[in-house]
Amino acid sequence: MRLFDPHIHMTSRTTDDYQAMAAAGIVAVVEPAFWVGQPRTHVGTFEDGFASLVGWERFRASQFGIRHYCTLALNPKEANDPSLVEGVLALLPRWLEKESVVAVGEVGFDDQTPDEERVFARQLELARAHDLPVLVHTPHRDKKRGTERSLALVREARFPEERVLIDHNNEETLPLVLATGCWAAHSIYPDTKMDEERMVALIQRYGAERIVINSAADWGISDPLKVPKTAARMRERGVDEQTIETVVWRNPLAFFAQSGRLDVAALEAEPAVDQRQLYAGNSVLRAGREPVVRR
Amino acid sequence: MRDVVRTVLRARTAVALPGDGRPDGEAVDAGALIGALAAAGRRVGKAALALDAAETERLRAAGVDWPIATRLDELWRIAALLDAVADPGFARLVADAYRGGDSDERCAVLRTLPLLPEPERFAPLAADACRSSVRPIFEAIACENPFPARHLSALHFNQMILKALFLEVPLARVRGLDGRRGDELTRMARDYAAERRAAGRPVSADLAALAAEVCA
Repeated sequence: MRLFDPHIHMTSRTTDDYQAMAAAGIVAVVEPAFWVGQPRTHVGTFEDGFASLVGWERFRASQFGIRHYCTLALNPKEANDPSLVEGVLALLPRWLEKESVVAVGEVGFDDQTPDEERVFARQLELARAHDLPVLVHTPHRDKKRGTERSLALVREARFPEERVLIDHNNEETLPLVLATGCWAAHSIYPDTKMDEERMVALIQRYGAERIVINSAADWGISDPLKVPKTAARMRERGVDEQTIETVVWRNPLAFFAQSGRLDVAALEAEPAVDQRQLYAGNSVLRAGREPVVRR
Repeated sequence: MRDVVRTVLRARTAVALPGDGRPDGEAVDAGALIGALAAAGRRVGKAALALDAAETERLRAAGVDWPIATRLDELWRIAALLDAVADPGFARLVADAYRGGDSDERCAVLRTLPLLPEPERFAPLAADACRSSVRPIFEAIACENPFPARHLSALHFNQMILKALFLEVPLARVRGLDGRRGDELTRMARDYAAERRAAGRPVSADLAALAAEVCA
């Protein structure tokens, strides 16, 4: 079965992770622009970050047979830094036009401040202007209220709900999201957010419609194989194959295909790999390693 | 208060502060101060700071009734910053010391905030520090520091408390929590307790007490 991890921060991961993901059946990923751990203090750092997501990281993924897409935005946490907001928002229109950008995101709330709300609303307008769907991060703290506020903001902006993916859901927020037209993603984490067993229970209760899972793997303790591991757990618990495939492949594909920038036919075909390629003179190979070529 | 801090410091180290010998009214050499803040750990060492009863009393008399610093290098940085407090560019200097500081420097800046005149001007910096995922930085503002309860808005104070629960930082370490409890914080704590139960996770005694589920 082909697998799609629609939220993973590959910039923080190793080539071993790419190899293991490919071996486990992952053929496509979406990497959202988000917080990099160390707060950024210059608008230019964001621009280089955006360039890396549509450039070097995309190339790196391709070297392992994985198609890499991204979402770009000013994230909720850094939306609180007044020295960044206008500069980063002014950068976005140019970068949102790049062909591997399949949504505006992650937008949303962190501390649920007025600044975060304003930046969230402005980025919904950017998504509308660039005809892109939106990926919405929900906060760790005061999560239920943050999710309610996000859904209300989408509604007030009259942004089409079927083009909104609300991320990091749990038992309490999923029914709120499903009651709207938005899609619901779940980040399967080793300790926090959501685990495999709880996810299986949610699928058994709510079905697969508009439901997506991801690893959200990043620079913290996280696991880039959580999508295949959760698929395996669903199988163990007797979830039927069609439901599993809907959650781990068809749904993320259908959601991000709304950008018009996913080549669905190409994704269904076996990806070509040519590790002889270089990017700006750089290879992912190190001296003496035989390149893999698969057509 | 600056004199008390210096006395406590001088009982432990003779390493010169950047402001030593600068006549009153002369401009602070910001570059030298910023460099000294970075080098403090190497220059004065990182011994834990244990105050004797007389020192504790002198600090208390000067209005400092919380543990002023955790280590000697932190106290040295605090003293170095306090020396510059009269400089017209002081607020900018504090912002720069935080922004370009490593974790130890940032912690020292945060522990300096409650000692400063017009402290409310540093509330945005403190709110930003509450968003840090670096635990020592978060603790430097949230724990044994009177600044948040005195100067943070309800929104930022409540978020800080939720984050402390998230990180399992004991709420007993947050100064002035009782005076800032309100309906909204209780509501947030109740929602968080419900979220944890729905996920099959334990609810800590701190969380249950804040949610007013048991007698605090």
